[in-house]
Amino acid sequence: MMFRRLRENQIVFTWAALTPFIVLFLVFMLYPLIQSAFLAVNQTYGPETRLYVGPKNFRLLIQDPVFWIAIKNTLLYTLGSLFIQLPLAFVLALVLNSRRLRGRSIYRLIFFSPQLMGLVFVSILGALAFEKRAGFVNRSLAWITNNPSLLEIDWLQTYIMPTLILISLWLYVGFNMIYFLAALQNVDDSLLEAAEIDGAGPFNRLRHVVIPSVRPVATFVVLLSMIGSLQLFELPYILLDGNGGPNNDGLTIVMYLYQNGFELGDLGYASAVGWVLALMLIGLALVQIRMVRKEEAMR
Amino acid sequence: MKNATSLAILSLRHLSIGMWIMVVLFLISGMVLLSSNQRPSENLQMWVFSPEHQAMYAPMIENLQLNSERNDRDIDLSLLSIAAIKSKMMSGFFGGLPTADLIEVERATVGQIFMGPSEAIGFHDLTDRLHEEGLYDQINAPSLSPWSVGGRTYGLPHDVHPVMLAYRADLTEAAGIDLTQATTWDKFFELLRPMMDDNDSDGRPDHYPLSMWVTQLDNIELLMLQGGGQLFDKDGKPTLDTDQNAELLAEIVSWCAGANPVVTDINEFSAAGHQSRVDGDAIAYLCPDWMCSIWKMHVPGIAGKMKVMPLPAFTEGGRRTSVRGGTMLGIPKTTQAFEQSWETAVELYTSPEIARELYSMVDIISPIRSLWNDPVYAEPDPFFMDQKKGLMYIELAPQIPLRTSSPYNYNAVLEIRDASTNLLNWYNAQENADDAAMIEKTKDLLRRAQRSIERQMSRNAFTGIDP
Repeated sequence: MMFRRLRENQIVFTWAALTPFIVLFLVFMLYPLIQSAFLAVNQTYGPETRLYVGPKNFRLLIQDPVFWIAIKNTLLYTLGSLFIQLPLAFVLALVLNSRRLRGRSIYRLIFFSPQLMGLVFVSILGALAFEKRAGFVNRSLAWITNNPSLLEIDWLQTYIMPTLILISLWLYVGFNMIYFLAALQNVDDSLLEAAEIDGAGPFNRLRHVVIPSVRPVATFVVLLSMIGSLQLFELPYILLDGNGGPNNDGLTIVMYLYQNGFELGDLGYASAVGWVLALMLIGLALVQIRMVRKEEAMR
Repeated sequence: MKNATSLAILSLRHLSIGMWIMVVLFLISGMVLLSSNQRPSENLQMWVFSPEHQAMYAPMIENLQLNSERNDRDIDLSLLSIAAIKSKMMSGFFGGLPTADLIEVERATVGQIFMGPSEAIGFHDLTDRLHEEGLYDQINAPSLSPWSVGGRTYGLPHDVHPVMLAYRADLTEAAGIDLTQATTWDKFFELLRPMMDDNDSDGRPDHYPLSMWVTQLDNIELLMLQGGGQLFDKDGKPTLDTDQNAELLAEIVSWCAGANPVVTDINEFSAAGHQSRVDGDAIAYLCPDWMCSIWKMHVPGIAGKMKVMPLPAFTEGGRRTSVRGGTMLGIPKTTQAFEQSWETAVELYTSPEIARELYSMVDIISPIRSLWNDPVYAEPDPFFMDQKKGLMYIELAPQIPLRTSSPYNYNAVLEIRDASTNLLNWYNAQENADDAAMIEKTKDLLRRAQRSIERQMSRNAFTGIDP
């Protein structure tokens, strides 16, 4: 009796349950979103001092070579993530999924451990490892090749983007590996056995059974990795001491946004940068969704 | 509504133990927060970023509180990181909210304060007060420039930070070289060239004459200033692409260029850098007064082996010093106690006791000229082979170059760093680049740097500067 009455009033309860979320969403998501759209057409010095400039911020942004450098760097890093980091994570997951490998749990922990340390700590360690002369990387290279001139490689001044990608490999390969590992553990054993009985070798089993089975997870990991890469900030910020490095070789879009908004105090220009980034992310997400739907339709 | 409440109560019954623990913790923490007294303190608030400053000011402030005739408020001295001061201060200035009554600001932070319209500068204009109380004439004149915009001064300078050349006298003397004869950079490198031999056959010179590299922002700026280079004129307009800057930059980069550079890149603050100093990888260092205390603390292995001397000049008879870093004390406009803040600021920054402590603890000389007679500056320093280095820094203090307060200075220095790096790469890629070609390339790179700064400045309608 009581339950029936309650069910009749479910709408009231639903709204009561949703209200905290809606309030938080309005205050911390929707309002800032609207505010940033408003800011993007103003020049500001902090939130109080502003001057309406219309679409000038976007026009200047398009003409701004530093912004294009930031876009180029961010895309380069994203490509590095997609084409180096994810395949490596997948291969690692395949290896660590093998039942023949002893001590798999230990390896999994080792590869995942950079995530436990946190991005800032890993960045600081990365900076030390790639230090000129005294860094672990240069010392190892010089020792292995018996060539002391390799001690002089200035990774963080000369090879900024490769260094960023290398450090992010250390940080994220283990993290993405966990997703792939979970997907691999869900691959239907009977399908693999059937393929084996049909005479499929390891490569064909991987190609025709394993990869199609992990595709939904892979799609999710690709999207996650792309969004994360486009939002890259902390790693170069810490490694390069808050600026983009020589010739802005390590400047990313979010770093440029931060510099304008919080170093120069121009929240308007920073908002314009933010909107361009948001449009890029929405565009990528739409492409991704479309590709997934197309694939599902083909199946 | 009543039914909805009943449903909510019914749902609570089905919560797990873990959820109940979370609910109880939420309620307890909420009650603790609500019951805590969050009223702002009535005391005068002062933010500093240096533990040494805090240690020096604390007893002085205690005295002030005991002896002050006004004595209306006690003073709370808080130590915050530079980043924390910057974000708290700027948030307060942007939002018109109270910050502290006195804030010590480091030079790298000050640009953002001057980025907006003059009426939005969050600190009180102290110019008239400085003149009225005769302080303006007491302060080492060039030390006011980084804190002044349009002839108005917004902070009391804490220091002068002249730069000398610190060198491994034990090594030079063992090699029979009298480095004090190096009145110009050319003579300096010439005198030390014999020490660059590779006697240990490790493929590198045993000693480089100088620790400096094109990627070291502060040292590049310091050398440009020493040579009379200017990144902004007195009206705040960028002047990166001048002939003088081009010649200077080409000369500085030439030290790093080629197969046998005469300078080396030793990290100034890392453990590896300190070890290099002990090993004598470089003979000389560009040494502002504050750097002495850093070495004393972190590189005791070079104690008694170093000496200081005025910087070699770029041309005979040229300037023998430069300047690096700096701090000011400002009074935010939101203070409710300007008079007491001013009294405290003046007391702290003009006190002979504090000046003495400042030099004894961190080797920094005061910008107040009347205090330069203090015997503390004439004490021999065993770290520097008993040289009276305080007097030596003081002698150079009035000659430090004027610095800009342009909010775009940091960006301009970054542009110079990029131009230097590109020039070095270009030079090293050439077969035979002569001086004239190098100067032309430098001019070209500086033109690009100038355009970049102009573009950044043209976006700012608030400073009133048309680049």
